[in-house]
Amino acid sequence: MSEPVRIQQADFSQDAEIAALKSSSKRIGGIATFLGCARDFSEGRDVSEISFEAYGSMALAEMNKLRNEAIAKFSLLDARIVHRVTTVRAGDNIVFIAAAAEHRAAAFDACRWLIDELKQRVPIWKKEITPQGEAWVTPHP
Amino acid sequence: MIRILFFGPVADRVQQREMQIEFVDGMTLHDVIVHLGMQHPGAFSIVSFIAVNQNQVHDKQMALHDNDEIAFMAKFSGG
Repeated sequence: MSEPVRIQQADFSQDAEIAALKSSSKRIGGIATFLGCARDFSEGRDVSEISFEAYGSMALAEMNKLRNEAIAKFSLLDARIVHRVTTVRAGDNIVFIAAAAEHRAAAFDACRWLIDELKQRVPIWKKEITPQGEAWVTPHP
Repeated sequence: MIRILFFGPVADRVQQREMQIEFVDGMTLHDVIVHLGMQHPGAFSIVSFIAVNQNQVHDKQMALHDNDEIAFMAKFSGG
């Protein structure tokens, strides 16, 4: 089975990630997921591609910390975080987060917390490639 | 030696992803920031996070050790 926290170039399968989560416990009553994908428009400009860069070893360590913190904070049964670091086009998958809990409230809360914290704490940067040129993205709230 | 890493927009402004500087006894993170900041003021103006050996640090007076790895990073924009 794949690691629950990964940084990879290749696309991921939401079904495979959810199946891995479900196989970890029969006490799971709810799984909340977040899928981040690439848009073709940003800040008033067409976007043809988005290129990602990471401080790989620190990013992976921080994502593992986030998973452990979320499991403790929300009493999750399990959680998975997968982030792609490559160049993607509109519609492509970027990041997947899944939080599994006994009940839905904890799963929803943890999923939201995980993506919000990931954006704040994980050293990954994205650059938008547009017909007018390239620009690093300023973080969104 | 101290290994210095730059990523994303900071690397673009430094026009380099990695460099090494000689370790000197008593060297602090602040010494490195001053030294490199003078050479690359545009890059250091967007540095929001600093990590030493992959741990984010806030104390710029932190003492460095030989073979430390320092990363200078702009605000993150993953996800």
